[in-house]
Amino acid sequence: MSRESDWLREARISRAQFFRMMGGLAVAAAAPAALSACSTQQNTGATAGAGGDAATALKFIGVADQKAPMDELVAAYRKVKPGVTITTSFAPTDQVQTSVRTQLGAGNAPDLHVVYPGNGSAMSMTQIAQAGLLADLSAQAWTTTIPSGFKPAFQLDGKTYMFSAGSSVIGAIYNKKVFEEAGVGELPTTWSEFLAACEKIKKSGKPPIALGAQTPWVTQLITYALVPSTVYAKDPAFDDKQLAGQATFAGSGWRQAMEMYLELHKRGYFNDNPNGTTFEQQTSMVATGKAGMAIQVSAVLPDFRKAAAGDAADLSMFPVPGADDAAQVWIPAGVVVGLGASAKSGNLAEATAFIDFLGRQESINAWAKAIAAIPLTQDSGSTIDPAVESFLPFTKDRAVPFMDQRWPNAEVQPTHFAVIQELLAGKSTIDEALKKMDEAYQK
Amino acid sequence: MSHVRYGRRTFLLELVMIAAAVAFMFPVYALITLSLKDPGQIAESPLSLPAPPTARNFTAAWSSAALGPSLVNSTVITVASLVALVALGSFAAYFLARARTRLGYGLYILFLLGIVLPFQLGMIPLYQLVNNLGLLGTHAGMIVFYTGIQLPFTVFLYTGFIRALPREYASAAQIDGASHLVAFTRVVFPLLRPITGTVLILNAVFIWNDFFTPLLYLGGSGFETVPVSIFAFVGQYVSDYGLVFAGLVLGALPIVVVFLLLQRYVIKGFSSGLKG
Amino acid sequence: MSVTTRPAAAAEAVPAAGPRRRWRRGGALSPPWLFAAPALFVYAVVVLYPSIAGVLYAFTDWSGIGGEMSFVGLANFRAMLDDEQALGSIANTLLLTVAILVVQNGVGLLLALGVHARIKSKALLRVIFFAPVVVSPVMIAFLWKYIYNPAPDAGLNGLLAVFGLPGRDWLGDPSLALWSIAGMVIWQNAGYSMVIFLAGLEGVPAELHEAAMIDGAGPFQRFRYVTWPLLAPALTINLMLSTIGGLKLFDQVFAATNGGPGYATETLSTVLYKQAFVYGDFGYSTAVALVLALFVAAVSFVQISYLRSREVAQ
Repeated sequence: MSRESDWLREARISRAQFFRMMGGLAVAAAAPAALSACSTQQNTGATAGAGGDAATALKFIGVADQKAPMDELVAAYRKVKPGVTITTSFAPTDQVQTSVRTQLGAGNAPDLHVVYPGNGSAMSMTQIAQAGLLADLSAQAWTTTIPSGFKPAFQLDGKTYMFSAGSSVIGAIYNKKVFEEAGVGELPTTWSEFLAACEKIKKSGKPPIALGAQTPWVTQLITYALVPSTVYAKDPAFDDKQLAGQATFAGSGWRQAMEMYLELHKRGYFNDNPNGTTFEQQTSMVATGKAGMAIQVSAVLPDFRKAAAGDAADLSMFPVPGADDAAQVWIPAGVVVGLGASAKSGNLAEATAFIDFLGRQESINAWAKAIAAIPLTQDSGSTIDPAVESFLPFTKDRAVPFMDQRWPNAEVQPTHFAVIQELLAGKSTIDEALKKMDEAYQK
Repeated sequence: MSHVRYGRRTFLLELVMIAAAVAFMFPVYALITLSLKDPGQIAESPLSLPAPPTARNFTAAWSSAALGPSLVNSTVITVASLVALVALGSFAAYFLARARTRLGYGLYILFLLGIVLPFQLGMIPLYQLVNNLGLLGTHAGMIVFYTGIQLPFTVFLYTGFIRALPREYASAAQIDGASHLVAFTRVVFPLLRPITGTVLILNAVFIWNDFFTPLLYLGGSGFETVPVSIFAFVGQYVSDYGLVFAGLVLGALPIVVVFLLLQRYVIKGFSSGLKG
Repeated sequence: MSVTTRPAAAAEAVPAAGPRRRWRRGGALSPPWLFAAPALFVYAVVVLYPSIAGVLYAFTDWSGIGGEMSFVGLANFRAMLDDEQALGSIANTLLLTVAILVVQNGVGLLLALGVHARIKSKALLRVIFFAPVVVSPVMIAFLWKYIYNPAPDAGLNGLLAVFGLPGRDWLGDPSLALWSIAGMVIWQNAGYSMVIFLAGLEGVPAELHEAAMIDGAGPFQRFRYVTWPLLAPALTINLMLSTIGGLKLFDQVFAATNGGPGYATETLSTVLYKQAFVYGDFGYSTAVALVLALFVAAVSFVQISYLRSREVAQ
C-alpha cells in the first residue's frame, strides 16, 4: 500500500514465521529459550502478573480526556459487578500512543484501551481492527442504535469495534464579556460577519482568536471548522471520491479553507506567535478574557471552564460560519475518542461486558455530560450542554465527521499539523502545503 | 594563569566569571521563583521575586505527582543496576584486558559496538522479550535492561583502566597460590576503586535520568521512575506553571542534593571518565 | 571448553603450582573467559539479539502491530531518499550536532580557563556550571520550554526586555527553533565539557608556563603554544562525547517541540519515533534507526582512529 514493491513483496508471512526465520539465523545463541518463547507466546497477551485470585482484574489505558467519565463509570460498575475491578491509567495522547502501540505490537495490550474513531491515526479503530487486535462488539444491543452517519467511525466491514459515548463539534469557544466590550452584539452567521466581529475585537485591543499552534492537534481545528462549508456543503460525497482517487486536497475547497485560515492570520486576528503558544495558553487567554475566542472542539469546554474559575458562565460556543450564504454553512461533528477491548485479552468476556455496560443509555448520558458531548443516543435523561445548543440545528443534515476519520493512513493528519505550522510561520505556500497532504494521502 | 598573583586582572576575570554565572543561573532563578508564586503573581509579574512566597505549589505537586513512590522506584532500580554493572562489568573487563587471545579482543570490540547502537533499533524486539519473560512493569525488568544497555560503556571504562595497571599485582598473588577469582576480588578489584567511582557516578546519573525506556516499560504500571512521573505530571497540569515548576524542583532535588554532597567525586568522575 | 586453551603468548613463565589449579588450567595468567560470560549473556540478551532482530524489521513493511508483514528488500531505504521529512531530519541532526560540538566546547573551554585561574570563587563556580549536567534532560527541556515562551514579559524575552532588547518566538519560529534547542542542550552540557577541559588544564605543568613567561610570551601566546597542544586529549574526548550525544539527541526535542514547528526541529531520533508510533510504519522506522546507527558508528570510528594515530605519533 505504501511504498514501491519488490520481488519479495508478495511473499506475505506471519510474524511467527518471521521469528522462526530469525531463530534460524541463530542470532543470540546465548538466549535460545528466550527466542522460542518469543515465537510461541505471541497470543497470550493477558495482563502480565495479574495475580491469581478469583476476582477479575481488568486494565484500562486511556487518554487524559477520558479520565472524568471513566472514573465515574468505573465506580458505578463496581456496584453492578463487585467481582470485577478495573484499574485505569490516563496520560497525554503522545504518551498513550507510544505505550499502547508498543504493547499492541508486543501482544501485551491492556484488556481495554483508548481507540480513536474511524481511520487516519495509528491508534484508530480501522488500523487496529485491521490488525485483528480489537474484539468484535457487534453482538451488543447498543450497537444497533448507532446513527448511520456515524457508522464509519465505529465499524469496519459492518462489524463494530469501538465504543464512544457521542459526538462533539468544532466551533468557536468565546468569551461573552470580551465580545460585549468590543461591541459585537449578534453572533456572526456568515464569513463576512465573522471577519467584522474579529475586526471589532481587534480594535478593542485584544486578539480576536487565540491560537495555540505549538500543540500540534490544535493546528487542524480551524481548517476542520471551515472545510465542511468549503468542501462538503458543495460535495457531500467528497470523501468517497477522494478515496477513489477522483478528488484531491489541492483541487478542492481545501484550498479555499486554507486561504481563509491565512486571511485570519494576515489580518492579525490571531495572538502573536501562535507557533510558540500552547493549547493551555490558548485556553487561559480566552477563559480569562485576554482574547475573544478559540476555535476548538467542544470536548475541551470543561478545560476552558476550569481555567475561567469563577467566570465560567461567560463562556459559550457558536458555529464558525465558513460561507457567505448562511444556508451553506456546514459544521464538523465527530464521534469523540472511544475505547475498545483487546482481542487478545485473557478476560475478553469481562472486558466486553464492561463495554456493554457503557452502552446503556444511563452510561452514555453520564459520559456525554462529563465531556459536554452530544449523547450517541438520547432519552429523557440525556442532557445537552447549553453551549453546544446552537449546533443542534446543523447536526441532522449539515454536519460532517472530522476529516481524518476517513483518511486512509496515519500520515495525513500529522502532515496537516506540520504544514499549518509552516504556513503560519510564512515558510511555505498553500500550494506546497496541499501538495504535501496529497502525497501523504497517496502513501 | 594559575601562578599569577591575585592582581587587578584576576579581579576583573573574577567579575566576568561571576557575571557569567549569574546569567547562567537565570533559568534556575525563573524555576525557583515561579514555583513559589500563585497563578495571579505569575501572570502579573513573571520575573519578579515572589511576594509573598507560597508553598502551596509544593504540597500540591508532592501529592499529585506521586513523587514518594517514584523516588523509591528510581532508587531501587538505580542501586540494583549499579551493583550488577560493577559486578558483571569489572569481571568481564578483567578478562578482556588480560586475555591475549583473539577471543578477548573480539569480545572487546563486540562490547564497544553497543556504545554506538541506538537503543531504538532493538526497542520492539526487546520489549517483546521483556514481556515474554514476565518482567514488564517490574523493577527487575528495568534492572536487567540498564545492566545490559550500560555494560558496553562500563566494560570500556574498566578495560581501559585495567590495561594501565601493572600485571605484577595479580601475578604476585597467584604465585602465592591464589586462584584468579581470589586474585581478582582481593587484589585487583580494590585497585579499581577510582574507576569504580567513575562507573558508579556516570551510570547513576544516566539511569536516574533516563526517560524513554521507563516511559515505555513502566508507563501505567505503578512503578514509574521520577522522570516518567514528572512527564505525566507536567502533561496534566501544564497550564499551571507554578505547580509544574514546583514538581520540577521536587523531581530534580534528590539528585542535585546528592551532587552537592558529593560534588568533588562527581566532577572527578565525569572529568576522568573517558581517559581510560 | 570453559578455559582458553592457549597459554598466554607473552609467557611470563610462572609455574602454575597451587591448590586451586582449576582456575588456572593451562598455566595461563590470563583469567578464564568465564569471567566475561555473565556480562556477555546479559549484553547479548538486552542489546545484541534485539538489535539484530530490529535490523531485520528494516527490510519489512511491518506496521508495528498485527500479524502480517512482507519483506520489501531495500524499499524502506530507497523511500528515505524521496522522503523530505527524513532527509530534512538528517540535515537538522547534522546542523544540531555541529552547533553543539562547536559552541558547547567553545563555551566549555572558556569556562574551564576562567575557573582554572586563581579566582576566589572558582570552587563555587565549578559547581554552578556543572550542576545542570546531573539533572534529567526531560526536566531541563520543560524548564526551557517556559524560558523560551514568546510572551514579551516572561522568560528569556522578559530578561531581554530588561536590557531593552526585543523578544523572539524562540521555539515557534522555524528558522530559530533548532538553534534554540541547541542553546538549551549547550546550557545543560557546557559544564560537562568544562570539567573535562579542566582535567586537561590541571595536567599542564606550571613550569612550562613559567619558562614561556621568562621567554617573554604573553598570555595568548602561552595559551596557543603551551596550553592548547596539551589540551588535545581533553578536546578529543569532548568532541567525541558531544558528537555522539548530538547525533542521538531525543529527549530534549521530544519534550520541547516534538519536531515542530512544521519539520523544523525533526531529528533522526524523532523521525524514527514518529514513523514507529505515530505513522504506524515500524519497518521504515527501523530503517531510519539503522541509518542513525551507521552515522554514529562512522563518526566514532573516524574519531577513534584519529585518536589512535595521534597516540602513536606521541
